[in-house]
Amino acid sequence: MTEVYPPLRQPLVAGDKSLADVTQEVCAPLERRSTALWWLAFLAALSLLALGVAAVYYQVTTGIGTWGLNRSVGWAFDITNFVFWIGIGHAGTLISAILFLFRQRWRTAVNRSAEAMTIFAVTCAGLFPVIHMGRPWLFYWMLPIPNTRGPLWINFDSALTWDFFAITTYFLISLTFWYVGLLPDLATVRDRAKPGWRRRLLAFVSLGWNGSYRTWHRYETLYLLLAGLATPLVVSVHSIVSMDFATSMLPGWHTTIFPPYFVAGAIFSGMAMVLTLMLIARKVMHLQDYITVRHVDAMGKIVLATSCMVGLAYAIEMFSALLSPNPYEQFTFLNRAQGPLGWGYAIMVTCNVLLPQLLWLRRFRTNLAAVWVLSIFINVGMWFERFVIITTSLERDFLPSSWADYAPTSIELATLAGSFGLFFTCFLLFCRFLPMIAIAEIKGVLRIGREGPAVEPRDPASAEASALAGVSRLDGNQGVKP
Amino acid sequence: MSETKTATGGGPSRREFLKAAGFTFAGALVGGCQRAPEQEAIPPLSQPEDIVAGRPSYYASTCDACRAGCGMLVKSYDGRPIKLEGNPEHPLSRGGLCAAGQAALLGLYDRLRLQHPSREGQENSWEEIDRDIRDRLHDLRGRGGLRVLTGTVTSPTIQASVTRFLKHMRENGDFADAKHVAYDPLSCSAILDAHERTGGSRVLPRYHLDRAEVIAGFDADFLGTWLSPVEFTHAYRVGRPLTGDPPRSSYHVQVESRLSLTGSKADERVCVAPEEMRAVLARLAVAVARQAGAPLDAADELSPSLAGFCDRLALRLWQARGHSLVLCGSQDVPTQVVCNFINHRLENYGATLDIDRPSLQRQGSDRDLATLLHDLDAGKIAALFILDSNPVYDLPDGEGLARALRQVPLVVCCAERLDETARLARYVCPHPHYLESWGDAEAVSGVIGLRQPTIPRLGETRPVIESLAAWAGAPKPAYDLLREHWKDHVLPRQARERDFEAFWDRSVHDGYAEVDPDPDRVRPKDFNLAKAQAALQAPAAADRGQTLVLYSKVGMPDGSHAYNPWLQELPDPISKVTWDNYACLSPDAAAQLGLGDGDVVRVEVRDGALELPVRVQPGQHDRVVAVALGYGSIVSERFAGIGPPWLEARPTVGENGLVGQNAAALLAWEGGTLRYARAVEKLTKTGKKHPLALTQTYDTLTLPAHLAPPGQERRPLVQEIGLSRLARKPAAPPHEDKPADLWPNDHPCPEHRWGMVIDLNACTGCSACVIACQAENNVPVVGRDEVRRHREMHWLRIDRYYSGAGAAVEVAHQPMLCQHCERAPCETVCPVLATVHSDEGLNEQVYNRCVGTRYCANNCPYKVRRFNWFAYAHEDKLQNLALNPDVTVRSRGVMEKCTFCVQRLQEAKIEARLRGEHLHDGEVQTACQQSCPARAIVFGDLNDRASQVARLRDDPRHYHTLAELNIGPAVGYLKVVRNRPDDGEGQRHD
Amino acid sequence: MKRVLVGSFATEEHILGAARAAREHGLRIADAYTPYAVHGLDRAMGLRPSRLPWVCFGLGLLGAVFKLAFQFWAMAVDWPINVGGKPWNSLPAYVPVTFEVMVLLAGLGVVLAFLLRCRLLPGKQATPLFRGATDDTFLLALERPEDPGDVSVVSQLFRDFHAVRVAESEL
Repeated sequence: MTEVYPPLRQPLVAGDKSLADVTQEVCAPLERRSTALWWLAFLAALSLLALGVAAVYYQVTTGIGTWGLNRSVGWAFDITNFVFWIGIGHAGTLISAILFLFRQRWRTAVNRSAEAMTIFAVTCAGLFPVIHMGRPWLFYWMLPIPNTRGPLWINFDSALTWDFFAITTYFLISLTFWYVGLLPDLATVRDRAKPGWRRRLLAFVSLGWNGSYRTWHRYETLYLLLAGLATPLVVSVHSIVSMDFATSMLPGWHTTIFPPYFVAGAIFSGMAMVLTLMLIARKVMHLQDYITVRHVDAMGKIVLATSCMVGLAYAIEMFSALLSPNPYEQFTFLNRAQGPLGWGYAIMVTCNVLLPQLLWLRRFRTNLAAVWVLSIFINVGMWFERFVIITTSLERDFLPSSWADYAPTSIELATLAGSFGLFFTCFLLFCRFLPMIAIAEIKGVLRIGREGPAVEPRDPASAEASALAGVSRLDGNQGVKP
Repeated sequence: MSETKTATGGGPSRREFLKAAGFTFAGALVGGCQRAPEQEAIPPLSQPEDIVAGRPSYYASTCDACRAGCGMLVKSYDGRPIKLEGNPEHPLSRGGLCAAGQAALLGLYDRLRLQHPSREGQENSWEEIDRDIRDRLHDLRGRGGLRVLTGTVTSPTIQASVTRFLKHMRENGDFADAKHVAYDPLSCSAILDAHERTGGSRVLPRYHLDRAEVIAGFDADFLGTWLSPVEFTHAYRVGRPLTGDPPRSSYHVQVESRLSLTGSKADERVCVAPEEMRAVLARLAVAVARQAGAPLDAADELSPSLAGFCDRLALRLWQARGHSLVLCGSQDVPTQVVCNFINHRLENYGATLDIDRPSLQRQGSDRDLATLLHDLDAGKIAALFILDSNPVYDLPDGEGLARALRQVPLVVCCAERLDETARLARYVCPHPHYLESWGDAEAVSGVIGLRQPTIPRLGETRPVIESLAAWAGAPKPAYDLLREHWKDHVLPRQARERDFEAFWDRSVHDGYAEVDPDPDRVRPKDFNLAKAQAALQAPAAADRGQTLVLYSKVGMPDGSHAYNPWLQELPDPISKVTWDNYACLSPDAAAQLGLGDGDVVRVEVRDGALELPVRVQPGQHDRVVAVALGYGSIVSERFAGIGPPWLEARPTVGENGLVGQNAAALLAWEGGTLRYARAVEKLTKTGKKHPLALTQTYDTLTLPAHLAPPGQERRPLVQEIGLSRLARKPAAPPHEDKPADLWPNDHPCPEHRWGMVIDLNACTGCSACVIACQAENNVPVVGRDEVRRHREMHWLRIDRYYSGAGAAVEVAHQPMLCQHCERAPCETVCPVLATVHSDEGLNEQVYNRCVGTRYCANNCPYKVRRFNWFAYAHEDKLQNLALNPDVTVRSRGVMEKCTFCVQRLQEAKIEARLRGEHLHDGEVQTACQQSCPARAIVFGDLNDRASQVARLRDDPRHYHTLAELNIGPAVGYLKVVRNRPDDGEGQRHD
Repeated sequence: MKRVLVGSFATEEHILGAARAAREHGLRIADAYTPYAVHGLDRAMGLRPSRLPWVCFGLGLLGAVFKLAFQFWAMAVDWPINVGGKPWNSLPAYVPVTFEVMVLLAGLGVVLAFLLRCRLLPGKQATPLFRGATDDTFLLALERPEDPGDVSVVSQLFRDFHAVRVAESEL
């Protein structure tokens, strides 16, 4: 896997760093005491989480009736949040796997935290299908486990079953992928750590990694394989999520365009979330040299591209509905745009299609503050996309007699807040205790776009001396303790 | 304080019940359903021969929920009545039983029903109470009048014992003017008075709607609440069979001021302000007289359009004379006289109206009542016995009456619950629920229904006749009193049986006896034309202001049902509101005042006012404010705590701590009768809000204008066809173009394939099926707030769709239940196989496998699946005795829905197998089908080509709702038939 | 246990050069230790390509076949249940789960194989000697030749490629 870097290519990492600098700078935040800012953020996130835990506890003990659902609207906030978080997750996999396969070396700066984000997002997502059940304590019945009922297996025709398998697989593979990528850096941190419990812990989890090249050699292959598996996986996962709707009967859900539409949307929202987090992290963690304007610029382009795909999907959906001979389909889409939840549709189109068009301007893409604000809008917009799709179709379907409006209760709002709490709590802990940047990979790309060797050879004399000294001792047949 | 006493009264009664029930195995079973300690159950020492454990037995009896006297079958499990059903052989009800009748079962297991006699709120023994009352009567002799106040008494035995008691009081008690006064909460006094004028005897004719080809109803909601709805509904159905060539169907014109259930079925409906009603009838009389060739002159201030209508109607009626019927619900005697005149001219007496075998369902006399009230005010009454009625609630100026009652030295009240009146009585003598005691009822002269106890008494209650006998100094058990009366007075009225025992046994078995009318009743004289013409001359009151119309709801006939959670939660078939009464305003009237659903409005009349939430009601006259009676009764206090308690839950009762408000306070006395319509002085918006608990929030099949796809404004869910078009159409099976399937159907139904067909033309929306389903399938009551959140649990609902606008609105009722689709969308999406298809074509829900993802409900195009959002209340141990042991009580977090009464199917199949023969068509009936008064629901085996349901599938009117989805529903519908003069245009829904 | 001569270098060019030269001199390279995967070092050291892809493929295939078979058996053979009138064996519906299980088994399996093959186990201690390799030093470990003459060749070679330090140790 040799690559030739044209010398004129601009560096991926700013500020002319040596390998040691990289190690030092990335590991520094882990070894420093946490800053007041971190504590502030952490406590905020933690209290949100606590709120969510309380809400879920109340809901599970009292009944799902504490949500605003009704006989017609069986899903709303729960599945909206589920799809939203899964979507967020996908960007991580995109960056770590797909961009890897496409040899986008700039990914190295962000892939670690993007993958972390994936895992936390999928964790949040995974909670909702469980707590949205009427009897969450029986969620394991979704698994084909031998039981006393026959054994009665599960229904492999149901999109929810597919979903269950998809999410589980996705979570496990992402976790493994992330951990494998983390191995060499854990070793690096371990070797810097002072003796003590922290070091022992790191020694345990870094599995005795010592930088052996034979290992590196297999590691490269493994990484490629995982990337190769994760790429179709991420596509399949969100396709399957979309099939929860696409394989149903409901007008507005029963739509063949959903799989590509949802995958694009997922990457779109995920990228936005990556930007939201990265732009804060690089400031707080002083990583400006690693996460450079160039990265933001590149991600901005991806966001723009996916935004256009999503916009196209919206258009096609509306177009084919209005031209379809199916009156229920037609009504559903008119209702989606102009019905009781029309405002939601407006938010979704504005945030997901109109605003991102600003990214055509290079000046906008490179204005970090602006991009950050936009990324927030996109997050909101994508949440509403799912909410509008799910709720409008349920609120008004075939029989007008059963039309019923939906409004969330305090418990649902608290649960949503709680999921954000969980996400940020995990992410802040990650920033605090694990290297946010893939050290080993950064070192690999350190010299891209720089003339000559990264590290000038020390002056020959001293080199000679030490070498000779070494040899002389070797002659003396004594090994040297380093 | 007496409240708490009765509340605690539930406990002991339960223990007692268990003791008694032990002898029929019920102990163990009941112990099971209410987690009572085992030792409370007493094993049967000797096996009663007629009761087999775990097998239901049926007893014929007569309903007592209202005075209609419908025959019913009591389904009893191990000595525990669990369901009331119509008695198919009964000459009046013919197998139907209304919602209120079926729901009365809960009254039996009512925790707050009075269990002990009490004096001034203190529990007491019968001996002491009796002695006390006798002493008081002795002291009071000669100190004033004695009155027995009752509702209409249809029971000959009670009537006899009242007479006996009064006779005793007159002779031995020195109460020279001891009298019996009867009144009706929903009075029809005017009809009887009118017949007194025109026919010389105070009778209520028996109406034979089945014999009528043209029916004209004037403010008479005979399919809903008027006199005898079940009987009338069945007869009405018989009158429109749609068989023969051309298809036969009676023509029904309804003239009314508010949209009633009856109006919703009318072929032609005219909206008239109440005060115009008399003028319209007068005009009709004139027109009919002209047709009859005996013209008479009468004042006439009608709008040309109405006049034209009257003439057209008169012609139609005349053409069908002898086979026509004019019904009038007015409480204005002259108006009724005019109505009698019309029927007389149309030669309907003796044909469609029977006054020789009259109805006894209403006997109350408002005149007597007025006199009594006057005497009470004047303090002329020394002793007042109130039997099973609640005047303080039912009558206007309840406070006034209450004050008067406090002055009466002796007030004895025989009641079932501690209602407004019982609270004022010095002595409260609870009588048993009618399922606990012997009794009879002659609702229509010549048809005497019999009641038998189906369960040991749950409390120390005593039948009214026993009490009367005791106070008359000749105590005797009710059973003996009843038999004596039958022996002496009923047996002679028939010739079939000479031997009393045989007659008695047959009557007990049948639940009724058909005999000759009472010989010593005054026969009606010839029709008195002069009186009628006098009435015609009398000018009609011309009032152009707002009118308050007080009506009674199908689900809440009168205040005596206010305790009943099933009825409280039953959506009104027209307004679809539960748990409340409200002020109905026409859309225009509401718009003028800037009011919408749930805005609280203040309705002021001369001597009273009410603040009620508004319900905008199409099809109502613009100058009418309609308010339902029967709400705001003190017994609805109990519902304060109903419904799942949680953070955002709101109470079921209003600010007054009751469900709804008592509109009876606004009734008016006028011309010696109670009036249900009166002028509104002021109608003002209060600005307060009281969101109504609606089960249907979107009322039409027409989509909102700005959302409707061009050419698709109306959804063809309810389909209509004009009568003449039906005649023209060849009776070929309708071929719905079936889309090709993607895969072969490799799921045959070898034995049975259950299916249902619902005749939308027959269905009146009376909602009997809804309660039947609730009772049969242990469907929980969820309370007002949950309904407001669209979480009602009814497995079977009735969708009501308006078409057209304003007063000229048309209504269609569509019972909607699980359609048991062949390719059910709900089944495919369930991840855990909790809903699957049986090889009998049933869509089965496996409660204990369900994890509650609700995906199935989302994917159900008919939205008939119901989810257990909470663990719904089953704390009321006593009420749990009403649960059907054949049906699982669903736990929290699982989905449920209509099962086609699978438990009944299984039972029927087992019975058939035991007999070693095949299941015959009609042998198994679903609960909804069983009690439908209109026989609109047909259920059966589609594999059996000869079955009624299979034949109906080939009816030209047959169609499937949402057939285009190609999911193969097992439930089909028969199109509504519109019998309009401008017929054929009735393709609105097509 | 074999004795090795370890030369530490500051840049990847040096270690690459040293590795190539060592093989030209017929010296056996025990292993190299680097902060990151130095490109080309595998060829310089003459490592054969890894066989992990085969493991991955095999496991994936196994997962797919097993899951497909199981679904068919569970839905159509073991307990056929009429679900929404769908055919007993609705193959298209089985595809998603089959794919997921394939990926799951392949992914987890290959990682496990990797760890075992490289003897990376929880709690395993890394040799202190190579600690720099996780930071910024590139170490080349050559097997110690038998005759002393060759040892000088080794040190000469290290010197030529600007070895920062040379040490002797055991592997």
